[in-house]
Order: sequence, then structure tokens, then C-alpha cells
Amino acid sequence: MRRFLLLIAALLAAPVVAAAPPPLVLAAASLQESLNAAADAWATRRHGRPILSFASSSALAKQIEAGAPADIFISADESWMDHVARHGQVKSGTRISFLANRLVLIAPAASARPVAIRSGFPLARLLGNGKLAMGEVSSVPAGKYGKEALTQLGIWNAIVGHVVGTDNVRSALALVERGEAPFGIVYATDAYASKGVKIVGTFPEPSHAPITYPIALLAASTSPDAEGFRRFLISGAGKAIFKRYGFIAK
Amino acid sequence: MTLNPDDWEVIRLSLKVAIVGVLATLPIAFALAYALARGRFPGRILLDAIVHLPLVLPPVVTGWLLLILFGRTGPIGGWLDRVLGVTLVFRWTGAALAAAVMALPLMVRAMRLSIEAVDRRLEGAARSLGASRWRTFATITLPLSLPGVWAGLVLGFARSIGEFGATISFVSNIPGQTRTLPIAIYTAMQLPDGDSTLVRLACVSVALSLAALIASEWLVRRQGGRAHVL
Amino acid sequence: MSFDVEVEKHLGDADIAVSFRSVSGLTALFGPSGSGKTSILNMIAGLLTPDSGRIVVGGELLFGDGVDLPPEARHAGYVFQDARLFPHLKVRANLLYGARRGVGALGLDEVVDLLGLGALLGRWPRTLSGGEAQRVAIGRALLSSPRFLLLDEPLASLDQARADEIMSMIERVRDELKLPILYVSHNRAEVDRLAASVVAIHR
Repeated sequence: MRRFLLLIAALLAAPVVAAAPPPLVLAAASLQESLNAAADAWATRRHGRPILSFASSSALAKQIEAGAPADIFISADESWMDHVARHGQVKSGTRISFLANRLVLIAPAASARPVAIRSGFPLARLLGNGKLAMGEVSSVPAGKYGKEALTQLGIWNAIVGHVVGTDNVRSALALVERGEAPFGIVYATDAYASKGVKIVGTFPEPSHAPITYPIALLAASTSPDAEGFRRFLISGAGKAIFKRYGFIAK
Repeated sequence: MTLNPDDWEVIRLSLKVAIVGVLATLPIAFALAYALARGRFPGRILLDAIVHLPLVLPPVVTGWLLLILFGRTGPIGGWLDRVLGVTLVFRWTGAALAAAVMALPLMVRAMRLSIEAVDRRLEGAARSLGASRWRTFATITLPLSLPGVWAGLVLGFARSIGEFGATISFVSNIPGQTRTLPIAIYTAMQLPDGDSTLVRLACVSVALSLAALIASEWLVRRQGGRAHVL
Repeated sequence: MSFDVEVEKHLGDADIAVSFRSVSGLTALFGPSGSGKTSILNMIAGLLTPDSGRIVVGGELLFGDGVDLPPEARHAGYVFQDARLFPHLKVRANLLYGARRGVGALGLDEVVDLLGLGALLGRWPRTLSGGEAQRVAIGRALLSSPRFLLLDEPLASLDQARADEIMSMIERVRDELKLPILYVSHNRAEVDRLAASVVAIHR
């Protein structure tokens, strides 16, 4: 009996004695492909591969606020990182904005025709009966940037009735890919990642706040590998990986 | 805690979606329940399994299947759009369809149990008294299976009111059209200051579910004992 | 000739084969329990299909030679062993269930008088005693303008006093209405009292 109990104890202890747990990274949905590639690169340098969880920055910020035991947060806008910092959940000195993105108008690949995006452009007429797929404009960063840009260009009120708000930017992408919505507003990097859509126009930078991605180590972080991974991501080698997917390095 | 106009809009939409969904499904559910209870045809077990699919499939999978069938580019949705000018995606009608599909298995189960409990010898007695098959069904079988019909309706309604996964993946989250109660609660969870809305709507959700369950229990008791043969 | 019946049926591990003709009045099918008497009644009523045979009642072909009338077309007044009243209808509605408009010699009042059902009309079947339910069942069958009656051990679950009461009523029905009656029983005393002819069924 004693030997049996010792065996059970050994089996239960084994995973704890093994390699240090890899960091848990909560990241904006638009980083899906690029961050996976970066995590793979980190793993080839003989570290435990980080665990990645993608959702809209709003959903992730709420999870962190509720005490989710994560190590790193990468947000698609500054305000959600501010929100998390305000609740004292960011390790001071570790926040830095390291990537930038562009906002684009997309259409299903089969029907794509270029659209000149400038003040007062006739998006309502182009939409007809159809919908404009974007992230939820009150919470999802891509949606917030989109509303800001359309407001700045003077056509928000004309198209507000056409808007379908999705819970993250990738869902908006999927709706356009499927042809359920004739147009969508997503990041340039999302459009590059999909073969089913084409960019028909790029929003001028002055029409919205700069799209920057802040990264920070969280106060709840326990993985000893976390800071190492963070430094890798913001290094030249790390940013090169993101540049391959269309991000702009800061 | 008082409800503001936005809250009421969400509640009205949820009730509309659930009631329309369940009432529209009622004849289909009853027909399926009858076929499964009384029918002897090849493929009956397969039909039974398909009817129960929404009960065990992950709701997002059901929603995705609805999207590829009933979306504007889907076989059924495309036809509806071209021929009848009807779109379901992004509209409350689509939300009602999602709710109906998720409620169907529960409704069929309740009705089937009730139909199976009808003593077929009573139907024989009716036929011997001169009633045709149709009259026997309408005056004997149907009234005696009503307890199951009521139970199915109320259960279906309760399920529809709480339907989330299939709805959000099929018709997205559009205020006034598809932002039903559970989806409105989910949205409030994502807002920086959504907590007060969250609490109000969650209370409404609990109250509605309790009311539906109590009503279902009361109906079952009221009808109890009427399906026995003397 | 009232009943001219010849049927065969394989049922589970029992074989039923019976052939009889009877004159008018009450004919008893007499035999031990389990000898298939109820199945014979079901075949005559159209609720069970014989494997082969011929059924003629009161000169009308109900089954045979390619004919198989559905139960609702046979006009059998079938009184079941367990009454089988419809639980969701009150006694009055039960009685009138098979009544056809403009047809039939008997009206509700006559049947109510014949069987003493006046006090029961507004009651629910589940509140009736065995004897009361049986009387209502007989009344319901009579009110469906039957051309003949099938009675399946109607006295089986009754005590002696009730049984005597019902037997008197059956005698009244037999004598006043003059319908062909087929009466199933395993009780010799009943058969002796009521039957003009007896068909013995063996297992």
C-alpha cells in the first residue's frame, strides 16, 4: 500500500518538477498568425512554447480585470491597456508600443473594385441594402477606429444603419469572406491573411488615432520565461516576424 | 433597480423572437413527435438522431450550419433572397429560426412522450363508434396529448429565451434586430462601464426563466391524471 | 341468420380458428380465459385483421372476398371489458360520441332511462364506479346506432348485485331492441341466463 501511494505521489509531482511553465499571452485577435509564428520562433530557441489566447482587446481586458492568471497582454489600442493599467495590473516599466497597423476597407475578392476613401465618399450608396461588417464600435478597437475614421470623413450618420458590429475583428473579416456583407472595415494585416477578401481602399492616417499595439507584462505573471518572451517580441528579430505579416514596426 | 428604454427594447425583442420561433415550430415539432411515436418506417432512428442534434452539438456549430444553409450565399438562404426577397441573416427572423432550431429537440421529446402515453385502445373504441381516422385523431389523440404540447411549448420558450451561441454565430449582434437578452448581457460584459446594465439584464433573465419553469410545472399538474384510461 | 363468422388468425404463439353461424337473439361465445374470445370480437369489429376468412353480420359482408370494411363503417356497438370511456369527456359527451345526426332509432333520453344514467350525465369518467362505467359504456354503444352489439365480459369486474342489475338491462336491450348480440363470457351462469345459442371456444 505504501509503495502504491509513493507511486501516485511521484506521478502527481512529475509535471511540477518538469520544465518551467511557459507564459500565457492574451493577445488581440488581429495578431493571430503573426504571434503564432513568433511563438514558434521562440520555441526553436529552446524555450517552452508560449500559450496564446486570442480575442478582442475588450474581452481580454475584462478577463484581466477579473483576475485572469496571464503573463503578457498585447492590446490593439492604447485605451484598453490604459484600462488594465488603471486597475494596477501592469508591471511598471514593461509597457511599450511596438507595432502599428493600417485601417482598410475590404470587399469579397470576387466583387472587389477600388474605392477612393476621402471626405464624404459615397459608402452608403455603395452599400445599397447590404451591411458594413466591423468590430463592435463601442468596445472592439477595430470598430472604434472605424467609427472614428468614418466620423472624421463625415459619413458616419449616413451609414450607421448598415453597421453589423462583431465581437472581434476576425468575425467581421469572416462575414465579408462569406459574402454576407459586401464591405467590411478591418486592419490591413487581417486582409493580407485572407484569400477571400481584397483591400479596396485604405483609410488616410489623419482620419483616426494611430493604430498602435502596446505590450506589457502583467502583475499576475508567474512564468519566469515571460519577460524573456516579451523582450524577444520587441527586439529586431521579433519585429521582423510581424513585418512579414504586414505590421509596421515602431 | 428600474429598467430603461434600451432594456425594454431588448426584452421586447427577446420575447418576440422566442414566441415567434416556438409557435412557428409547433406544427413541425408535433408532426415529428407523432411520426417518431407512431411511425414504423426505415430510417426512423436516423430521424430521431437528427432531431436531437441541436441538443448535443456545440451551439456555435449549429449556428455555423445555419449560416451556410440560410446565409445569403447559402442554398436555402439564396433561394429565399432571390425568390421571396426574404433575408434571415442580421434580422430578428434569423434569430427566431436559430431559437426554433435549438428548441425543437426539447419540444419533440415532450410531445412524443405525451403521444406515446395515449392509450391506443381508446382510439380503437372511437373507431368502433364510427369515427374516421382523422376524427379519432382530432377528438381523441390530440386532446389527450395536450399536456405534452403545453410542456413542450413552455420548455421551448425557456430554451429560446436563453439562446446565445447559435444566434450570435448565425445572425451576429445587431441592436433591435438580433441583440436578444443573452447577447445584450454578453455585450455589456465587454463594455468598460457595462456592469450596471449587466446586473439589470441578468436579473430579468433569471426572472423570466423562473417564470417559465413555474408555469411549466403548474401546467403539468393541472393536466395531470387526464390521460389515464378508466 | 345474424352472425356468419369464419376466421383464422395466428397471434403470437396462439392460433385462432373459429367458424359459427347463429340465429337471432343473444349468442354467447363461451370458453376459458385466453382462448381468443376477445380477438374474435376485435376481428368482427374491424380492429384486428384476420389472416383469412369471412365475416357476415345481419346479411352484410364485413370481411372476405376482397372486402375489409374499416371499423367506422361496420356499425358495431362494442362494449369493452374495461369500459374504455374517454377520460377527457364527461359522461354525456361520451354517450353522444358515436351518435349520428338523423339516424338511429334511439335518442339520448331513451337510453338514459333504459340504463338509469340520469344522475351520471355531468360526471367525469374517473369518478364512476365499475358498474356505473359499464352502464355508460353500454349506453354509448347503443347510441351509435349499431346494427349489432359486441359485449366482451361486461360483468367480469362487478359484484353480484351490480352484475344482476346489468344483466337485467342486457335482457331489456335484447328484448326491446331486437339487435343481434354477440356476448363473450367464461361464466356458465350468465350464459345460461342470457343466451339463445352458445358457441364453445376451446384453447
